[in-house]
Amino acid sequence: MRPWLLVREALATAWATKVPTVLVLLLVATMCAATIATVGRTASAEQQLLDRLDSAGSRVLVVADARGDGLLTPAVVDQAIGLSTSERGVGTLIPVDVVNGVVGQDATRVPAWGVQGDLAAVATLTAGRWPGPGEAIVTQAAMDRLGMDHPVGWVARASTTVVDDWSVVGSFTPREPFADYATGVLYVAPEERALDSLHVVLTTADAAQVTQSQVLRLIDPPAPDALTITSPVSLAQLQDQVTGDLALFGRSLLLGVLGAGALLVAIVTLADVLVRRADLGRRRALGATRTAIITLVVLRTLVPALAGAALGTTAGILLTQRLGAVPPWEFTTGTATLALLAAACAAVPPALYAATRDPVRVLRTP
Amino acid sequence: MLAVRDLTFAYTCGGEELFEGLTHVFTPGAVTAVTGPSGRGKSTLLYVLGLMLTPTRGQVLLGERDVSTAADATRSRLRAHQIGFVFQDSALDPTRTVLDSVVEPALYAGWSLGTARARGRELLGQLGVGARAEHRPGEVSGGQAQRVAVARALVTDPAVVLADEPTGNLDRDNATGVLAALSAAAGTDGGTARTVVVATHDPFVLEHADEVLAL
Repeated sequence: MRPWLLVREALATAWATKVPTVLVLLLVATMCAATIATVGRTASAEQQLLDRLDSAGSRVLVVADARGDGLLTPAVVDQAIGLSTSERGVGTLIPVDVVNGVVGQDATRVPAWGVQGDLAAVATLTAGRWPGPGEAIVTQAAMDRLGMDHPVGWVARASTTVVDDWSVVGSFTPREPFADYATGVLYVAPEERALDSLHVVLTTADAAQVTQSQVLRLIDPPAPDALTITSPVSLAQLQDQVTGDLALFGRSLLLGVLGAGALLVAIVTLADVLVRRADLGRRRALGATRTAIITLVVLRTLVPALAGAALGTTAGILLTQRLGAVPPWEFTTGTATLALLAAACAAVPPALYAATRDPVRVLRTP
Repeated sequence: MLAVRDLTFAYTCGGEELFEGLTHVFTPGAVTAVTGPSGRGKSTLLYVLGLMLTPTRGQVLLGERDVSTAADATRSRLRAHQIGFVFQDSALDPTRTVLDSVVEPALYAGWSLGTARARGRELLGQLGVGARAEHRPGEVSGGQAQRVAVARALVTDPAVVLADEPTGNLDRDNATGVLAALSAAAGTDGGTARTVVVATHDPFVLEHADEVLAL
């Protein structure tokens, strides 16, 4: 039998026997809507939690040279930032207070950080240009405190013993997770100076442990006691645990909904096969092969299942929209596909039963 | 050619055996009436000849070939291409049109829908029910339904037509019409010679059959 004629027969049968058609449609629609409204919502919540856990602020590894032994050389900083697990990073000096050079030492003080590395890793330039050696950039908050109308002029170190100053060449806003810099000034750290701390934003929180080990290996001579490390390792473990628990819960729920739905679809299809035994027996007697009967029964179930999947997915999306946690489209299409697969698989045992029944017995039973 | 050789059939292992080694050659171009008392296996013989039941012993020969033990898919294919069935109650699909019912075996035989429908219309016209092509079986009389069943049995131009009590539920006029259709199918009116086997206990059919096989 030609494939499209089998589809035509399945459509005609589905239309002719409306009760099982509507039941299968409603079952698959309920499967999809329930899955999207429960598992999809869980998946959405999981994604939101993951996004929060995976934000830049949760992926920062900070290594500080606690005793100032000069362990964090510019070379170490460069190599650490260059690791494949590093998204971006900088080395910084201990902040010093600076004042507006025009006003003098009595002026309001703001903190200034000497930065080694690409400043774009920690700041977004809002005016002017990136600073070179002996130059600095300021935030709007710092300008307000320093009494600057525009990011021009110069700042000087607030000290009566040390003379140090930087020309202001631009303004910036700090990037996540370097919000601390919002109150101050960034200047380019002298190239020859060892840094006081290293800040590395990791590609993922999972990479914390391995990056931490790699950074410690870069330091020569090894001096773990002289370093203070702030690492998101435990956060990564928590993330794994939480997402693992949520995924297990979601998977169990999904299997439960699909399994129960598939069982009910199988019962409806079996009932339909039993009611239409004379029809199926006649088809066998007239020359339909067992394969044709199996395909016909499965297709006849898939036709309303398709409509049900479309209806249920739409209903599920509308429902989750009202609840404020719409799952990603991959999840909704995946759910519809799984529901269709479950319905098709559920139709196979009744289809096999229909195909292997003795047509004579069926035809001779009133 | 349709023939049986040393045929015996039992529904259950060790149960009552039917036909007791029947050997018979059914004549092409003739209507053979199979008759006998109730329970002697008239309908069962038709189902064995139609390859829906497998004989306990013996052979069913279709064109010199033993087809009684062929694989299920082969037997289905032979039913679709070479064997037409007329059931006692016509067994038309109540949810489809008469024409849809007629073309059903042709679709199983792999015909295109257009070809099958054209052939179906032609046969319905020849059997005097062409005007009922788009009606549902519930909208035609018993005699018309049985003529539709004959059209369905002939749609693939099979070599064998098997009819199980085709006039059992009909009055004399309608029985005459159905019998005439089966005779025409056998080719007794000069058409293509087919083997037509009718299981019946109707004396009217026996009177008009070309051959009688008593069980």
